[in-house]
Amino acid sequence: MDVLVQILSSGLTLGAMYAISTIGLALVYGSLNMLNMSHGALLALGGYVCLYAMTSLGLPAVAGVAVAMVACGIAGLLIYYLAARPMLASRNFETQIFIATIGIGAVLENIILRTFGPQPVAQPLNLTGAVVVGGVHIPHQNILILAVSVLMMIVVALLLNRTRTGRAIRATAQNRDAAQLMGIRIGRVYAQVLAISGALAAVSGVMISSLSGLLPNMGGDPMLKAFVICVVAGLGNVYGAAGVAIALGLLEAIIQYVFGVQYSFAILLLIVIAVLIWRPAGLFGRAQVVRL
Amino acid sequence: MSARTRDILIALGLAAALALVPLVVGTRYIITQMTLFFIWAMVVTQWNLVLGVAGIFSLAQMALFAVGAYATAMLGYYFAIPILVAMPLAGLVTVFVSALIGLACLRLRGPYVALLTLAIAQVIYLVVVNDTDCFTNPPSGCLPLFGGVRGFSRFGDIGFRGLLGSKWYVAHYYVGLALAVLAFVFSIAIIRGPLGLAFQALRDNPGYAMSRGVSKFKYQLWVFSLSAFFTGLAGSFYAAQFGVVGPIVFSIAMLLFLLSMIVVGGLGTIWGPLLGAAVLMLADEAMREFGDWRDIGLGLILAAFVILLPRGLAGLATIRKR
Repeated sequence: MDVLVQILSSGLTLGAMYAISTIGLALVYGSLNMLNMSHGALLALGGYVCLYAMTSLGLPAVAGVAVAMVACGIAGLLIYYLAARPMLASRNFETQIFIATIGIGAVLENIILRTFGPQPVAQPLNLTGAVVVGGVHIPHQNILILAVSVLMMIVVALLLNRTRTGRAIRATAQNRDAAQLMGIRIGRVYAQVLAISGALAAVSGVMISSLSGLLPNMGGDPMLKAFVICVVAGLGNVYGAAGVAIALGLLEAIIQYVFGVQYSFAILLLIVIAVLIWRPAGLFGRAQVVRL
Repeated sequence: MSARTRDILIALGLAAALALVPLVVGTRYIITQMTLFFIWAMVVTQWNLVLGVAGIFSLAQMALFAVGAYATAMLGYYFAIPILVAMPLAGLVTVFVSALIGLACLRLRGPYVALLTLAIAQVIYLVVVNDTDCFTNPPSGCLPLFGGVRGFSRFGDIGFRGLLGSKWYVAHYYVGLALAVLAFVFSIAIIRGPLGLAFQALRDNPGYAMSRGVSKFKYQLWVFSLSAFFTGLAGSFYAAQFGVVGPIVFSIAMLLFLLSMIVVGGLGTIWGPLLGAAVLMLADEAMREFGDWRDIGLGLILAAFVILLPRGLAGLATIRKR
């Protein structure tokens, strides 16, 4: 029983953390067909900006997160205007933006490295204490992460379903040309999507770093996992991505319990490859009919 | 004279010219840097085949390079196999690994391939680094099966160090040159041969090509597996040249450096990757003074070239010609 509670608690925390960074990626891929390889650097940027705002500027935690969200949102906008927009019309957009964002990610990560140094730093946003369920300690921090993630998911769902902006984003994702013909300014939609994705990355980065500490290259692993989740869910499927994130978080917690931490990612990946061989477009992805 | 014969003749002429370099240049540093250039040239010409010609968005190329390097080191270390025998064996091991990766990934669409190959590369890295159980216990301390964080050393060398003494690096220069020429001629043969034509057809008119029985999956798997032989061989020679193999071959910085060579030179062209390798190694040399800013510079070069000059330096040349 205790083991079950332990696995549920760490699995849900992992899954919730993955979910917020994955949703941002899925949104961007869904509307622009863009795989943002600088997402990991955005996670790190969010974590460090929050640290800076809270320690050097002395802001309270909520303000720190808000500042981080704004900073990463602006970074997302810059990525759109400087890199994505000039290439949108190009035939190999998917390949090119992928390579370009690898470069941008490296630049961003190294700027963080120059500014804050290579040594690990603790994220000041950290709750102490724990709730005891049965014989298991569940840290307040884990509960906070879960709550923030659920809140962010609700906000994104409301934004997508209940606002004009959200409708424009969904329309663009469904059919870019038709959306444009209906008078949606897709350039603006793209910019909004990248800004939202950046802001979500900031929240995710703060949450991840509150558990594992801040390092300039901290974003690499979570980004890779987020991508894996997107791939399993079917690229661009936002709700599927959130569900798969939670499921994979739980699965990872189980694998860590059974086989040990060091091989968890490798085993997770073997499962993912098996899923992809079974369903090449992901679990919830529509098999694309390629028109020649 | 066909385009293929012409390109191969130019390549051989260039190789002959490069063969004269050690007779003129005596500086050891320049010779070893050029040997490194041959190793990178092998990797990027094969990566270009995979990425630029066959359209496989593989980010596992550095992992394949690592497989070649590790296979050589492990064959030498555990079985005391002479390096010259271990090198082609390592190439074959790499082909096998690559075919497995290809079977798992190549039925998927472009971006899925990129993410899955990146994830596979990361898994190979994690398995190497996270394994802390001692496999053997040499005098230097505990050694995991795949070398762990420390990696392998003392697995033997080609033998020129004993034969030529302090001049061994000149012999390695010629080995590197020979291997690079082999890899480059192979890439010309693919691009100008039936496989290259098949991919050309698939790009120009996928519907017609497929209806004539051109199978994308089959040809992609061929290119992906065959080119892995030279990628693995490059890793193998890298191991022989430096005498050390460690997890650094998996680093993102190295991946970035090599990817930049292809993009700067011109994706999918015959001469672009070579040109890019030369340009980036020179630029790297120039940036050495700035040390820490090197990675920022590389990232900027990569992004700027994709955004502003997507066809690379080779593309620039063809525009001029028109």
